[in-house]
This record gives sequence, structure tokens and C-alpha cells, in this order.
Amino acid sequence: MRSRASFLFIGAIVGVLGAAALFFLGLVPGIGVVFGGIFGGCFALLTRFRATTPGAGLLWGLSFSFLLWLAGPAGILPKFMSNTSMGMLDMARAHFAELVGYLLLFGAPLGLLLGAFSAKKAAAHANARPFSLSRALVAGGLAGIVGGWAFGQWMEKAHFFPLIAGLVGSASPSVGKSLHFLFAVIIGATFGLLFQRDVRGYGSSAGWGLAYGIFWWFLGPLTLKSLLQAQKPDWSLAHGQELFGSLIGHIVYGLIVGIIYAALDKLWVGFFIDSDPINRQPEGPGSRTLLSLGRGMAAGLVGGLVFWPQIVAVDGLPWIARLAGGTSPTLGLMGHVGTLTLFPIWLGASFTWTTAAAAGALSSLLGHLLYGAVTACVFLLLERRHQDWMRLDPRYAVRLARLQRPLGTAAPALWFFALGLGVLMPILLS
Amino acid sequence: MFLRRGFPGLVCGLFGGTLLVGGFGNLSLGLAVGAILGIAYTFALPHPIGRDGAAADRAMTAAAFGLPMWGAINVILLPLFAGQTPQWTAEGMRTLFPALVGWLLFGFALGLLATGAVHLVERLFGATPVAPARKIPEVKTHVVILGGGFAGVTAAINLEKEFRADPTVAFTLVSETNALLFTPMLAEVAASSLEPTHISTPLRSSVRRTSVVRSQVSGIDLANRRVHLSDREETLPYDHLVLALGAVSRVPPGDGIAEHALEFKTLADAICIRNHVIDAFDRADAERDEAKRRALLTFVVAGGGFSGAELVGGLNDFARGMLADYPNLPAEELRIILVHSRDRILPELSASLADYALERMRARGVTFELNARLSVARSGGVTLKRKEPEPAEFEIATETLVWTAGAVPNPLLQELAIERDKRGAVVVEDTLCVKGNAGVWALGDCAVVPDAKTGKPCPPTAQFAIREARTLAGNIRAAINGEPLKPFHFDSLGTLCVVGHHTACAEIKGFKFSGFFAWFLWRTLYLSKLPGLERKVRVLADWTIELFFPRDIVQTIDLHPPPKESTA
Repeated sequence: MRSRASFLFIGAIVGVLGAAALFFLGLVPGIGVVFGGIFGGCFALLTRFRATTPGAGLLWGLSFSFLLWLAGPAGILPKFMSNTSMGMLDMARAHFAELVGYLLLFGAPLGLLLGAFSAKKAAAHANARPFSLSRALVAGGLAGIVGGWAFGQWMEKAHFFPLIAGLVGSASPSVGKSLHFLFAVIIGATFGLLFQRDVRGYGSSAGWGLAYGIFWWFLGPLTLKSLLQAQKPDWSLAHGQELFGSLIGHIVYGLIVGIIYAALDKLWVGFFIDSDPINRQPEGPGSRTLLSLGRGMAAGLVGGLVFWPQIVAVDGLPWIARLAGGTSPTLGLMGHVGTLTLFPIWLGASFTWTTAAAAGALSSLLGHLLYGAVTACVFLLLERRHQDWMRLDPRYAVRLARLQRPLGTAAPALWFFALGLGVLMPILLS
Repeated sequence: MFLRRGFPGLVCGLFGGTLLVGGFGNLSLGLAVGAILGIAYTFALPHPIGRDGAAADRAMTAAAFGLPMWGAINVILLPLFAGQTPQWTAEGMRTLFPALVGWLLFGFALGLLATGAVHLVERLFGATPVAPARKIPEVKTHVVILGGGFAGVTAAINLEKEFRADPTVAFTLVSETNALLFTPMLAEVAASSLEPTHISTPLRSSVRRTSVVRSQVSGIDLANRRVHLSDREETLPYDHLVLALGAVSRVPPGDGIAEHALEFKTLADAICIRNHVIDAFDRADAERDEAKRRALLTFVVAGGGFSGAELVGGLNDFARGMLADYPNLPAEELRIILVHSRDRILPELSASLADYALERMRARGVTFELNARLSVARSGGVTLKRKEPEPAEFEIATETLVWTAGAVPNPLLQELAIERDKRGAVVVEDTLCVKGNAGVWALGDCAVVPDAKTGKPCPPTAQFAIREARTLAGNIRAAINGEPLKPFHFDSLGTLCVVGHHTACAEIKGFKFSGFFAWFLWRTLYLSKLPGLERKVRVLADWTIELFFPRDIVQTIDLHPPPKESTA
């Protein structure tokens, strides 16, 4: 482990440089450079034991800079500067460019560098499997292709491919599509490189993918696209609103990359590592999967029933029923409870990723959050009930201990970044 | 406790609560909510609080938790308390944006400050007293289950379910074998339709917290409550003893039957029969003497009950299918004979189904010797005595005799000073408790279990053993807790018997089925009953492979190994 002073030094330096870049772009005043150094140092001290890999550092950096934006330009600062109320939506919208700047020029480099600097990057926790470069690149790249295909459905509909082709001076949709898949593979591979150590299952991997997808929206269409065309990046709210469909696309891409990566990673580990009889577990993966599916279905049913009143209140059932080819609210409820997770696929036939559609679906977002929270709590209860019993058997106790989320991962940062921005962005942009 | 946890929580909550004031639109309410959450949060912090990087974890976690708090309190609960509809429309949520920002910042501030404040207070005033770690209670009750068959294993599984995480009760399962044999599919192993291990589930994988002891029970000391094992000095103490020792084949002594007959009870028996049939075909192929060849190709099965009928049906399919690999053997020389002492086979089924089974098997090439008993067995042949239509004694030249005509309860039970019936099965009450022996229970093939409603003894089948095991597990728990015991009652679901390719008989709740549908029902039901997902998949794979490829005729046991040469 490197010394506290060296972390402080690097954090302060990177913070100063990031703030200087923000100052150069006119997003912070001159004094902000000093504050950049202070915040960078604070961040380094706070996450010295957490930003142990570039991936973990990236997430900590992004969430820290998002929080700084919330506390600063979007939240408390205006109250002192202009005596307005704290956290006004208009004020937050007016400082959208700062959000992009904070994330890309302050949080991301700070976290990535500190994570790379950390001497603990070999393994964040004792039970982690050894990092495999080939696994990260192959699984990530393949996951990127699948995610890119899903994202590409919207891009094709929104005639986005010619815009992508513009990066190499072309207007051909085929060129744009090729470039799109190239980027999708690269982003997928980097996902594997950054988060392989943190992926513990489909759920956690989907979370990392979601956060990484949001990050790439800020970095890709909002920033790199302009830079590659030798233009100044447009970080205005209006431009963000224009690219709202792309944000949803990046989120969908990130989720799919996360899930497919987890599947491929598990397949890889199962084929090359777990299939070795020496590494055999008491239960086969098939039994574990079936048990999890059963409990997940029970938990999802409870979550769906809790979500039901909200759906009824916003008159969503007939809308859901239309997906199943009917109009009955009862059918909608059945479809909703049973196939909530299939909605994105069902909606794929006529998806409209616009700010207006997002505004209409905001209430549904809250309902989904409620559904997710209740489902997770019920699932946890079922798991614990089962685990208490299983713990009496030392073979299972060891396995259960291995399943516990180890301390020291970037999961808290992920929760904050993904949840916070996942809810805030639709409100902000719609 | 309040000084070290509550006070820092109160202060941090009040401080952080200032961020909530805007969202609530009320100073007192914001501070009060902040204070309550602050105190609750610090009390929920673990002991000890200090570890590297914990502040960052808690700050971000609490910040993320602010989002559902905003959704639950500001969007839903506060409007509801105010008599309004929840603010979950897009416009409503935009209006509540300041509260969202407030909650996120409040969470971060609370997580960061509370960790620091508690850490500081504990450094100043010493660590928060921690309640002594909960001691794992000692085992108070030992339940020992004897027998690794359906009854024993199901009893162990149900006892685990009854007592779940209760560490004061320990279970031990004593079994001579290390796997639970799924006997309904045993005939398919003998007929080379299924791989032997695919119908056996390892005991250690079947149970979770039960200790499995692979040994033979040499004695039971009912007075001192101890079980003696044949291969070790130490004995197993018990508070509750479950007798699930099952039954063994009843081969009549004398007349050479015990010496020359193959049994059909265990997996080893089934493997042996299969290898014996293949061996007989190989020997017959090389045999030039027609009489000897006919004897080699004659397979006699004694006993027309379920196991005998299923075995003979399976063997017939297997043997007739093998002829394709032995072109020198004429089909007319192959004889599969079922010997049964009554006028109809399958007494467990109704007459019409039994007749159907007989006709179908006869049409497929099985020969039946009804009303006949096996009187003598010797190398190269058997003698049968027929009672009807007229008494007669005749011989059948055969090299293969399989005995399936009966089973008796485990002979170990004879040594116990408990009540038994004429077969030697333990007489139990309808609660499955052995009469006059509190804490001793019996079930399955080794017990006479009276049905609580009819008073009649339950049949010794796996179907009943499984249900008896459930009642027994519940009654052992009730006995330990001093609760009343439940009597056993179960209405049989029905019986199924497969007698050949795509041919079976089924009698379910009075409804009779036969033919392909019954065969499909048999396979579906028994596959679902086969313990363990892995075994189900393996058996399904075997059945699927059989659709495309012939049954395997690889001999896995050399029945005539060459004598070892002396090295002296």
C-alpha cells in the first residue's frame, strides 16, 4: 500500500489539473482550481482503501464528482451566491455543462489514476479470482457486440449512423454502422478490463454496465464525437436533451453489456476453472441457478403486487395490456407482474427514446424503483432464511461466505452514481 | 450506549437535517426527521466501527439510500398524509427536485459525519460495549436414522426441514450403501436402458446437515439407547431412533434356489443380471450344441409381482434387441419365462390391467408359467411344479434364474425386544411410534404402519414410505417440543407398472390407463420423483439416446475371470 502522503499528493495534483481544465472551459472560477486541489486530496484520502483498481477508482471518482456537482453548482452554492432555494431544478439545468465537466475532467481522471496508482490492484479481496486479460477482452468484446446490436436498433431508427460516419468524413450508414460496432467492441472490452474483478453475478454486472453506459454517454456523443470532428464539445442542456435517446441507448447498451459479460464470464470460469474437479462446489451451477430463479420469481411477484397500485393510479394497466394484444387492466396486471423484465424487449417494436416520452414515463420510473426495492428486500429475506439453515453445514457455510459481497469494492459508489444519475437525468433532461 | 452512538447520531442527524429542510418546507420537520434517522443510523452501525475506508462506503451507501427515501417520503407518504394524491407524475417529481437533491446530500453527510463522529467519541470514551457474541447452543437431541433407502433418506430430509436452523438437534443417518437407490427404475438398469449410477443419488448430496455414517448396524441397545456398528468400537447414542431398515430378498432355503438364483434387489444385482444376460448371449453364440444353446438363451424370472413383471418386460426387450448383434442366434431359441404361483400376474393391479400386461408381454415374446412354483434349481436348469389345471412337474433347461418372488423385513429387527408381525415387521402405532418404546420410530418396508382412518396396514411401497417419513419427522419434532403427535393417513395415488417398450399399466385414483399413455405417464411421474436435478437430466439423456442408438451390450463385469497364476 502506498503512503497516505503520496495519495494526497496525486489526488491534489490531479484535482488541480482537472479544475484548471474546468476553469479553462469557463465552468469554474479561478478559486475553483484551489478547491479542485483540496477536493482531489480529500477524495484521495477518503477512497485510498477503496479505489484499488482503475475500474473501482473510476466509479468512486464519478460518484464523488457527481456529488460535488450536487452540493456545488446544482445544490447548496446557489443558495449562498444568489440567495435562491437549494436544489432548484432550473438552477441544476443551468449548470448541466458543469456536471459533464466535473464527471469527465475531474472525477474520471482522478479515480482512474488513483486506482491505477494503488498497489492493491492485484486483487480487491481475498476471494477474487485472478485477473485474466484474455477473458476480459474476449468476453467484454463479445458483450459489446450484443449491446451494440441492441443500441443499433434505435440508431438505425433515429438515422444516427450517418452522423457516426461523419467521424471519418463519410455519410454512409454502413460506415456508421461499422464504426458503431467498432466502438461497441472497444467499450465492451474496456468494461471487461475495468470491472472483471468487481463482477460477482448478473445483477452486479448489470449495475456496473449501467454506470459505465451512462459514463460513456457523457464521454462519447457529448464529448468525443465533437472532439473527433475537431469541434468544441457542446455540453449544453439543449444538446443533452437532443441526445436523450442516445442516453437511453447507452443505458440499454450498458445493461446488456453487463449481463452478457456476466454470462460469458461465468461460462468462461465454468468451462476453464470450475469444471476442474478440484474446484468443485457442493451444489452444481444448475441447482444454484434454479434456486435463485425460484426465489427471484417469488420476490418479483411480491414486488409486482406492490407496484400494482401505482400502475393503477397512473392508468398504466391498459397500456401494458396493449403489449399483450389486449386492453383489459387485468391482463395488464398479469403481464406486468409476470413479465416486467421483458418490457424493454416488448417495447422494442416501437420504442421512442425522446424527452417527451421520458417525461410521460417518469411516474413509471418511480414505480419500477419501488418494485426493485421490494423485490430485492423479499429476495434477501428468502435467501437469508435459506442461508441460516444451510450455514449449519460447513460445506455450504464456506460457499455462502464466498458469496458475500467483500468489503472494499466500489459497490457503494456504483449505487449512488447509477441510482442518482439514473433518476436525475430523466428529470433534468425531460 | 447513547453517549457513544445515540448522541453522535443526534448531532449528525440534526446537522444533516438542515439539508432536508428545503424539501420538507418545514424547519422542525426536517430537523426532526434528520435527528431520528441520524440516531437510527448510528445505532445500526456495526461494532467495531473503525476500518479502513469505511467512511467512504457509508457515505456513498447512505447517499444512494437517499433516493428511495425521497421516493417513499416526499413523493408518496407526505402527500398522502396531507390528503393528496402521491406526487408521482412527471410534473410532481420535478417540483420535488430540491427535496431529491436534499436527500442525496443528507445521506452522504450523514454517512460520512456519523462514521467520523462515532469513531471520535469511541476514541475519547472507549469502544461501545458489545453484547457478548451469541453462543451456539449445544446439541441436546440426537436423532439416529437407520437405513439409507427411501424411508430413511426422506425421513432425514424432512427432519432437516422441520428443524431447519435449530442447532440443538443433530441427525445421523446410518446406511450400508452410500447412495439412495431409485428402485422403480432398477429394471431398466438390468435391461441396459439406463446407466447404473444414474438411478442412484449420493446420500451426502441428498442431505444437508445430516451426518452420514456408512456402516452396517450390528445391534441396537434399546435400554441404553445406543446403536452398535459392525466396523467400529464406538456406538451411536440417540434420543430418537428411526428404524427404516427396509426389506431383504426372501429366497427359500434348500432346493438350490439360493445357490443358483440371481437376486433383484440392489444396484449390484441389476448390474449382475445385465452382465449375465450379455455373457449368456456370448456363450450361446459360441455354442454348437443346440440344447446347451437353448439353455443359455432361456431366462427364467420367478415372481409375477411388480418387480418380476417389470424385469421380465425389460429383459425381453433387451434380449430380443440383442439378437441383431448376434446373427448366428436364431430368434426362436430365445425364451424369456415368467414363473408365477397364482393364476394371474401383478396382483397389485386390477384384473383387467394385469390381463392386459400379460397379453402385451406374451405378444412381445414372453412365456408365462402361471399357477406354477419353482421347486428345484440347479446348474443348467430348474424344476417347476404346476398346481392347475392339473398337477404336473416339469423341467426347464436354463442357465439364468432371477428370483423376485418376495421380500422380508430386515432380519436385524428379529433381535429387538419389540412387537413384530408374522413377517417380522415392526408393529407401530398410527403415529409411527414403536409400541411401548417412546423415542423409537419405524416406517417403510420394515414396519407395519396402520392407516389412521382405515386401520389397515399400509402397503410397503416407496409411495407410502415417503408420506410416512413426512408424518414421522413432524411427530419427532412434536415429541421433542411436547406437542401432540399426528396420526398417519394417506390415500394411495395409484400404481404404475411398465412392462415393455411403450407399454405400461396405470391405475390412478380408480382410473385405469394402459398402453402408450400409461407408459408416458410412468416415465413422466417417475422422472419427477427421481431425487436430484442432476440425476433427472442424466436419466432423460439416457432415454433420449435410446431413441437413436441401440442399448449398450458392453459387458462390464467378467463373470469368468481366468484363474490367477501362482507366483510362488
